[in-house]
Amino acid sequence: MAPGFTRWQPESTDMSRTAKQWLAEIRSLDLPDRVKIMNVCGGHERSITMAGLRGALPSSIELIPGPGCPVCICPEEDVYEAIQLALNEDITLLAFGDMLRVPVNVAKKEIRSLEQARAAGADIRPIASPMEAVTIAREQPDKKIVFFAAGFETTTAPVASMVVEGVADNLLLLLSGRLTWPAIAMLLDSARPGFDTLIAPGHVATVMGSREWRFVAEKHGIPSAIAGFSPESLLAAIYSTLRQLIEGQAFLDNCYPELVRDEGNPTARRHLQQAMEVVDANWRGVGVIPASGFSLRPGYQALDARRQFPAYADDSRKRAGQMPPGCDCARVVLGRCYPDECRLYGSGCTPRHPIGPCMVSDEGACRIWWAGGVRENKHNGQTQDRVVTHA
Amino acid sequence: MCLGIPMQIQEINGYMARCEAKGVERDVSLFMLQDEMLEAGDHVVVHVGYAIQKVTPQEARTAWELYDQMLTGSE
Repeated sequence: MAPGFTRWQPESTDMSRTAKQWLAEIRSLDLPDRVKIMNVCGGHERSITMAGLRGALPSSIELIPGPGCPVCICPEEDVYEAIQLALNEDITLLAFGDMLRVPVNVAKKEIRSLEQARAAGADIRPIASPMEAVTIAREQPDKKIVFFAAGFETTTAPVASMVVEGVADNLLLLLSGRLTWPAIAMLLDSARPGFDTLIAPGHVATVMGSREWRFVAEKHGIPSAIAGFSPESLLAAIYSTLRQLIEGQAFLDNCYPELVRDEGNPTARRHLQQAMEVVDANWRGVGVIPASGFSLRPGYQALDARRQFPAYADDSRKRAGQMPPGCDCARVVLGRCYPDECRLYGSGCTPRHPIGPCMVSDEGACRIWWAGGVRENKHNGQTQDRVVTHA
Repeated sequence: MCLGIPMQIQEINGYMARCEAKGVERDVSLFMLQDEMLEAGDHVVVHVGYAIQKVTPQEARTAWELYDQMLTGSE
């Protein structure tokens, strides 16, 4: 076990403290004038917003939603490819429900989402589990079933398990799996990471192991802690990283010890290793991040929808900054601006009529802030220069 | 998509388990936990139909209290 895990164990992982007690501990710290804490998980952002943690914390602390939404960063060309496949081939296309409403950048009269393609007659079905894909493929042996599998490690690992366990010959994968830590590595390697401490994702670490996140402290000297989804766990992680910052001792703390182990879930990692390899991958609005995507290994390429239907891969669509015009989702994803600082937030882009993917997904920061009651648009040309105290 | 829901195992059949939470029953794959010793009555955290980790009954209860609060908060 890394030394960091034991350094403050009685305090920062003492999960018997209440949220109120953690808030008192945080207030008692000798805080700098301004601290930016980034999270990398839509679930964390949801808990922070719904519990009103921004309003409860001292005003010098900024909680910044980062690249924690797999739907938001799923490449536009992959969504477009899925739409075109569903419209033009005799297939059934399956996708996690959030993906159906993600718009692509096409002219107004063209079909711009899987939902619209379904309304136009394509056989597209939302699913909640890879097991449903296995069942549907078994029930329709004469039809090709394409499972558009977008997600981070927590979701891609079950997809890998499904593949390793074995699927019917007619089930194909349109894979858009991504790894979370390379996005943080990219930010930290940039001239302006935009945060002082990091809250690492709880369920990604449950599957992949906490050790994946050690580089944040060890390579970059940035305080870090893995958090669960309760206000207590999140506040413990916030406290831990603040104390690390103040004491000048950065390490990776584990404030979700009930689920997160150093090695993660070894079986899940073995399945990922067996079925998939890690490749450079495009992130919508961000660009290619080295070693941040999953691809099927050669032994499983018979399942690869891109090999079966190569005509639908459109390289000309592969470009960074492919968010809709006027949409700041790319900057929201990278923590460069807050959702309500986008000019479209609430004025044209709402959960009912989303323009950017961050307003579509339950894990998108814009959608979460809207659900949390943030209605005012603060677009004023300034970003990250104010302290967010509302939630 | 990364949210995990704690459920209690009712019955195990190979790599599949009938699991229950808050009166709702689901078939859950234990394939990702095949190296764990699991039996009926145990609690697991389930993500997209797959159990990703075993948890104690207390941890499952705590997680459900949180989800209840979140569901109430988002109504």
